[in-house]
Amino acid sequence: MDSTELQPISNFIKTLPPFDQLSEQLIEQCCQALTVVYYSKEERLVHVDTNEPQLYIVRSGAFEVTTEKGELIDRIGDGQYFGFSGMLSGEKIVNKVHILDDGLIYQLPLESFNKLRAASRTFDRFFNQAFAKRLRHQGELKSNNISTSRISSLISENMISLSRDATIQQAAILMSEKRVSSLIIIDNEQLAGILTDRDLRNRVLAKGLDGKTLIEEVMTKSPTTAPKDALIFEAMLLMSEKNIHHLPIIENNKPVSMLTSTDIMRSQSSQPLLLIGQIDRQTSVEDLIKVSNQLPSLLQNLISSEAKAQEIGRILTLVTDALTRRLIFIAQQQLGEAPMKFCWLAFGSQARQDQAAGADQDNALLLEKEGDSESEHYFKQLAELVCSGLDQCGFPYCPGNIMAQNPKLCCSLKQWQQQFTDWINAPQPAALLNATIFFDMRSIYGENNLFEKLQNSVLKQTKNNDIFLAALTQNATQQVAPLGFFKNFVVERDGSEVKGIDLKHKGLALINDIARIYALANGIKTVNTRQRLSALIGHQGINPEDINNLLDAAEFIAHKRLVNQGEQYEQGIPLSNYLKPSNLTSLAQHHLKDAFKVLHDSQTGIKLKFLRHF
Amino acid sequence: MLSRWFIKTHLQYQSRQCKDEQIRKYQQAQLPLLNLPIKEAPLLALDLEMTGLDPKSDQIISIGLIPIINGQIKLNQGRHKLIKIAGSVGQSATIHGLVDADLQLALSLDEALQWLLKEATGRVLVAHHAPLDMSFIEQALLQQSEHANSKKCRLYAIDTLKIEHQRLLRKQPMIKEGELRLNSCRSRYNLPSYDAHNALVDALSCAELLMAQVSKMGGGDKIKVSELLS
Repeated sequence: MDSTELQPISNFIKTLPPFDQLSEQLIEQCCQALTVVYYSKEERLVHVDTNEPQLYIVRSGAFEVTTEKGELIDRIGDGQYFGFSGMLSGEKIVNKVHILDDGLIYQLPLESFNKLRAASRTFDRFFNQAFAKRLRHQGELKSNNISTSRISSLISENMISLSRDATIQQAAILMSEKRVSSLIIIDNEQLAGILTDRDLRNRVLAKGLDGKTLIEEVMTKSPTTAPKDALIFEAMLLMSEKNIHHLPIIENNKPVSMLTSTDIMRSQSSQPLLLIGQIDRQTSVEDLIKVSNQLPSLLQNLISSEAKAQEIGRILTLVTDALTRRLIFIAQQQLGEAPMKFCWLAFGSQARQDQAAGADQDNALLLEKEGDSESEHYFKQLAELVCSGLDQCGFPYCPGNIMAQNPKLCCSLKQWQQQFTDWINAPQPAALLNATIFFDMRSIYGENNLFEKLQNSVLKQTKNNDIFLAALTQNATQQVAPLGFFKNFVVERDGSEVKGIDLKHKGLALINDIARIYALANGIKTVNTRQRLSALIGHQGINPEDINNLLDAAEFIAHKRLVNQGEQYEQGIPLSNYLKPSNLTSLAQHHLKDAFKVLHDSQTGIKLKFLRHF
Repeated sequence: MLSRWFIKTHLQYQSRQCKDEQIRKYQQAQLPLLNLPIKEAPLLALDLEMTGLDPKSDQIISIGLIPIINGQIKLNQGRHKLIKIAGSVGQSATIHGLVDADLQLALSLDEALQWLLKEATGRVLVAHHAPLDMSFIEQALLQQSEHANSKKCRLYAIDTLKIEHQRLLRKQPMIKEGELRLNSCRSRYNLPSYDAHNALVDALSCAELLMAQVSKMGGGDKIKVSELLS
């Protein structure tokens, strides 16, 4: 055939996955069947013929697939495809393809496309996966995505409840009427407890109680609850951690519904959850390391599924938390029970739940009391096992030695309290640097009230502590949000090369600082930046609109950072926090400027609030 | 306007004068195409490889053809024919990658011309720097003619080089050397550069260039064939 001489085309096609998996002969057949069409921006839309579905292979140019309503589904450039959705689903094509940049497209007719699918399983699978991914983009699978969906998407608004002074017979009747396995028991609209099938069996029938017994005598009092805006994923972890199957959902301090493990089972399993499940089953450090190898691809999937940036940070942190707990468990299998109560603390980003992949570990041990040499030895071994385990699982040792295996950071409650008091009373530059790490802390494992005691004593000292807060503010406003005099970006230079805007240190870190200062000033216990900011709303002297703007800015900058890193990952260049404004569309540049403006205003705000006395 | 009227009249005149039946058929079939919008007219992109640049002394080595139908280039209808020549491929072998051995399977010039005319009948020819290709074909047709004192028959084609020349002059005062080469033209339209060179790939390159030019000039449904023909 003459067309075999069209080498430039077959050379191009055979480099594209999945065509690269096809035999020379199939490539030739495929190239024979192609039609070449040029599209220019002036035409605006690619005319897609519904009666003649084709695979559009982009040779040059840029295209954008949107829904009928104009919601973006995908951007497509050189060597990418569109048109496969219609061919795979057989449905009428309703998506629109906009021409962003002039270009050439090779079009493969349905018949040839199907021949290739039949001839090669890899080819078939590739487009089926691309199709599934496309659907996810369109949100059709969103409800199945546990990792980033919220409880609110699973629960029904009809809460089935009874008052605590009703009888258990009334409870049983209501449960069988409504076909539910549990009830929320209320007292004056407040949650009083829950009553489950199992309670009726174990605490009523087995004990021979009669039907007139009051619910309050047999119910589970003060059950574990979850807020309505929690991630499904978090609820599931909570259930497996506490070995429970019913979780009352709380909104504005009132119960609104019951979430059961069956509700969650009904929505599909997902990758992060699978990963955590796997972590919880491993019995050796070696196996944990193997399981953690999946982390980079998990991150990549989360980014490509357009999960919110803060949720990705939360999921990664949940994985780190699970890994830490499992490592402690494995270490204790080896070392035996701890000689006293203790708490494994996380600082910095793990505490704030905004961890990035490959972040250093920042952790410490909080002990009930000062120990003897034997217990010192025990905790040293425990810390070393866990820290080296984390290192091997992809969370490298902290270069600043902020780790539990550092004897200075394996202290009793008293010592920790003294340490914090020292930092608060003498806010020297070094101490302030520590503050950005240590004042964001969270208990990962162990005796929670030990941690609460520490946290309460710290917050008591920081709340309304003008001198300390002023020093923190001074320190936090030394870095300026990158807005120049003319509101243009101040772009950092690294030698002769322009690196771009540092989204972490000039963006997110500044927002973390602002949230921390407000939280310490107001005695707010949560550590996550978003939660800290949300908790501020309603506090005196704080404008809710400013806080909401700051929350939006944080999400926007965090998202841009993740997307930027996702692109760096795809291009195979080392991940960094630097974003080049020239890589952004003018619209995105505009948004980013707005976000930094908000940040800049907030910095001015804390200066006015906390520095004015000095 | 005048040139359009001239082309039509000249085609009518030629088709009456022409003694060769195949050529006459081709000329007559051109007439109804003149008033069609580019998008609806069946087009045939063509490229010749020659032993040199002089139609009188140099010979055609190969012909690449590829049709454009409704603004779409059908790769399965692309054709490539080699032609037997007198003597050796000589110097141009280094450019075209053709060696004498390839030419063993080639058509005779007469067979090739018959084939070309048949393919071109009812289609508008498109070429990059068309005057050169056309003059080689005109010369070859004249040489092959069985009829005594035949006249050279003028062929019309759409010339992508000429279109580009005019479009460029509207944007810049003068044209630098090399700016009208096929690949330089293509890069202006974000078309990929095809590195292999044979008559078929060059015909395809030319076809893509025309579609790009036409879409930038307002679209193939607004421009008539006669506006681009020369």
